[in-house]
Amino acid sequence: MPTLTQVSLAFVQALLLLAAAPLFTGITRVLRAKMHTRRGPGVLQDYRDVIKLLRRQNLQPPAAGFAFRAMPTVMIAALLTIAMAVPVLTRAVPIPGLGDLITVIYLFAIVRFFFSLSGLDSGSSFAGIGGSRELTLGVLVEPTLVLSLLVCALLAGSTDIGAMGEAIATGHVRSAGAVLLAGAAAIFACYFELGKLPYDMAEAEQELQEGPLSEYSGPSLALLKVAMGFKQLLILAFVFAIFVPYGSSSDTSLVGLLIGLAAFIAKIAVVAVVLGVVENSVARARFRLTPRHSWFGLGIASLAFVFYISGL
Amino acid sequence: MTPIQLLCASLACSIVAAFGSLLLSRAENWAISFAGLGGLVAAVLGGVAGASVLSGAPLVLDVAGPFSFAHFIIRLDALSGLMVLVISTLAAVASIYSFSYVREYGGRGVGPMGFFFNLFVASMVLVVVADNAFWFLVFFEMMSLASYFLVIFDQDEEAVSAGFIYFLVAHAGSVAIMAGFFLMANAAGSLDFAAFRATHPSALVASIVFVLSLLGFGAKAGMIPLHVWLPRAHPAAPSHASALMSGVMIKIGVFGILKVSVDLLGGDVLWWGIAVLALGAISSVLGVIYALAEHDIKRLLAYHSVENIGIIMLGIGTGMIGIATHHPLVAMLGMLAGLYHLINHAIFKGLLFLGAGAVIFRMHTKDMDKMGGLARTMPWTSACFLVGALAISAIPPLNGFVSEWFTYQALFAAALDGTFLVQFATPIAATALALTGALAVMCFVKAYGEMFSGLPRSKKAEQTTEVPAPMIIGMVLLAAACVGLGLAAPLVVPVIGGIAAAILHMPPASFANGVMVLPGDPAHTLLSTPLLAVLLVGLATVPLAISAAFSGSRANRRQAAEPWACGYLPDAHMTVTAHSFAQPIRMFFAPLYAVRRTAAAASEGIERQFVKLVSLARRGEPMLDRALVGPSISFVGGVGKRLQILQSGALSTYCLYIVAALAILLLITLR
Repeated sequence: MPTLTQVSLAFVQALLLLAAAPLFTGITRVLRAKMHTRRGPGVLQDYRDVIKLLRRQNLQPPAAGFAFRAMPTVMIAALLTIAMAVPVLTRAVPIPGLGDLITVIYLFAIVRFFFSLSGLDSGSSFAGIGGSRELTLGVLVEPTLVLSLLVCALLAGSTDIGAMGEAIATGHVRSAGAVLLAGAAAIFACYFELGKLPYDMAEAEQELQEGPLSEYSGPSLALLKVAMGFKQLLILAFVFAIFVPYGSSSDTSLVGLLIGLAAFIAKIAVVAVVLGVVENSVARARFRLTPRHSWFGLGIASLAFVFYISGL
Repeated sequence: MTPIQLLCASLACSIVAAFGSLLLSRAENWAISFAGLGGLVAAVLGGVAGASVLSGAPLVLDVAGPFSFAHFIIRLDALSGLMVLVISTLAAVASIYSFSYVREYGGRGVGPMGFFFNLFVASMVLVVVADNAFWFLVFFEMMSLASYFLVIFDQDEEAVSAGFIYFLVAHAGSVAIMAGFFLMANAAGSLDFAAFRATHPSALVASIVFVLSLLGFGAKAGMIPLHVWLPRAHPAAPSHASALMSGVMIKIGVFGILKVSVDLLGGDVLWWGIAVLALGAISSVLGVIYALAEHDIKRLLAYHSVENIGIIMLGIGTGMIGIATHHPLVAMLGMLAGLYHLINHAIFKGLLFLGAGAVIFRMHTKDMDKMGGLARTMPWTSACFLVGALAISAIPPLNGFVSEWFTYQALFAAALDGTFLVQFATPIAATALALTGALAVMCFVKAYGEMFSGLPRSKKAEQTTEVPAPMIIGMVLLAAACVGLGLAAPLVVPVIGGIAAAILHMPPASFANGVMVLPGDPAHTLLSTPLLAVLLVGLATVPLAISAAFSGSRANRRQAAEPWACGYLPDAHMTVTAHSFAQPIRMFFAPLYAVRRTAAAASEGIERQFVKLVSLARRGEPMLDRALVGPSISFVGGVGKRLQILQSGALSTYCLYIVAALAILLLITLR
């Protein structure tokens, strides 16, 4: 059984990430504005949007049923669970029994399942196509993600995310080349999952009217907006935990945790800038041609696998 | 009562139910009730018998039987006990379901349906407990035949053609199995499985037996490329029978592979495991890819059976690799994963077929494009189907996830320290499993979404109502089992681990610790489904609380007039259909669909050739008549006519004949 300390630490970590999600999306908005040489709305704008939406009325299309109504709640619950499973402040997983690589990947599948289902449930064609695209993207990305992370797990000798991060951080891995390649492939796959340009397939604003989000309004939309940013933060936390766990605390002392928090914020800040630059300097990839990109990712992952087998 | 007696009582019940149903076929309602009730009692007895031998020494019943060369031997060990339990569980639920469902077939022979259904269940139970090759084959044939009659029950062109393909493949498979068993019997000098276990045939013979049984049982299991019959035969049968066929019968194929290669032959050859693993990977990916392109719900589910057989084979194959490379942990993990998924698939596939049956019961169509919006009119069916869809998509913390997690862990453990071949094969298999998982999620979002979500796409869909209580009870039981087998993983895993250990003759390892399950070595990793469930449910309060905190001045939820369609008036044709939803996958994986077209063309070719053969035989028969039978008749007739000359009818002539004969005989003896 996990101890009370473990659970409360994990819960605080999850709430912190949830609360920071609008800040993260706010920062990316500001960065985009700067790159467009606009003044931009300010980093706190997303909080204001969310609060405004929370006060509004819920409006739903006539076809919508249970799946449509439950989706924002289910999505945030699943994401919170992931946030309690992934090591952010600490090196080890906050609660043993949750922080397994396969478990976390399949927890993300809950989000994908309900997100896409809500698109079909809304009865809107745009939302339905968005749902279909979200799942297609998952199909294209999943093999790359699993193969590359499996190579890392094999090198680390464990599928526990904390143990994987520890092994990679301390250099206790047999093949550096394989780790680098697997890391590249996994990060590429995670970039797909972030849903940012050039791969914002499911919720493409101009093309699909924001996909499954298009029929949501009021508090549901507010929760969803938070959830989208939260999901991006969690994908980044997942990547950090495995490939750059530096700075995170190896114990649960307060100082260690604060250092871990500072390190996480620093990492997120750097990545936010990089993401901002990438996102704003590319055009949306054509959906029909995305397999070419994903095959490329699978190619890198396979190369990492070959490196691992040959022990390079 | 001992488990063996319980089992015999259960079989007797099945037989009584079968013949009772047949006798009562004039009084249809009585026939339905009798078949259902008898089936239910039989299943409960069988389930208790199976459950009571899960962790214990094998029980054997040896009866001389009518044949001197083959004793009728029943062996109830951990593996067959598990199979009996699974068969009985599904048979019980299907029997409950049948009380209402079979009324749909009123006037079309519900008596024979109950007969074949109960016979089918009894023969499946007998196949898994038979411990003699001859009786095994007899019951295997009985199972194929009983299910054949269920497949062709509708008597329309599609059902008959599907039944024909099924008949052909099932018998080709039986021949392969028979050949394998006879080779073994040749080496062992007896048809008893006990003798098979004791002999050690030469490596070549063992491998030939393995390949024959892999082909034979693989055809029954529906593994690719021997799956052609499955997506046609399963949809054709009545839904409660499809649930049994997809849920249990194809598992008997897997059971057979496991029985022959591990139980009878010892499974000590590396390439066997690799072969099973490779076929499993191919079956899982292609099965789900083909499922995705379907818009007939039962065909979609049937293709998913191909996929899940593949996943079970991944586990079993890894287990066999573990045996061959002398890694007890890998062997045990693989078997555990395979057997767990075998149970799970039986449960959720049974549930999904019953759900589909409930929808078809009301809609009278299998086409998902004509459904839609059924969640509103059929809330129970919809909720149960959703649980099944989540379970088959391996969504944590349900049962499908736990067994897939163990499959990953088994593959990981095998890859961690194995020979080059194993290190190469297992991560690729894990990648195939990942692709399968993602595709399965897509497929079941589509299936659930198209059937139950959105707007009704036909008049019939609008007018549906919830199905009668027995059908709901059947589905709810299975849905509860899906949740239970997932959440209670820490309790279930030790039992299945014990069965795996019994099959492998190894001391049981610990795969559970408190609320956690683990792949052997706790340093590796842990999984806790109860904890996941508590968190997933508990954390849902956070968004609800956030939303509630601002609800003060908010107006109630309101329904908009129509969804946004860029200013156009939305109509039913604009919504996403089963076809268009999967269109990107069909586009991106086009080459894999091309493979199927080729394969389908080949199977149709075989069918055409067979039809030609039959018509040739039909033409050949009279030809044979003219060429062989006719002439010989006329020859005999001609000879008779000639001989008539001798028969003048005069007594004196006959006396002359006698004298002549005597004279000739005298001459012969004197010389």
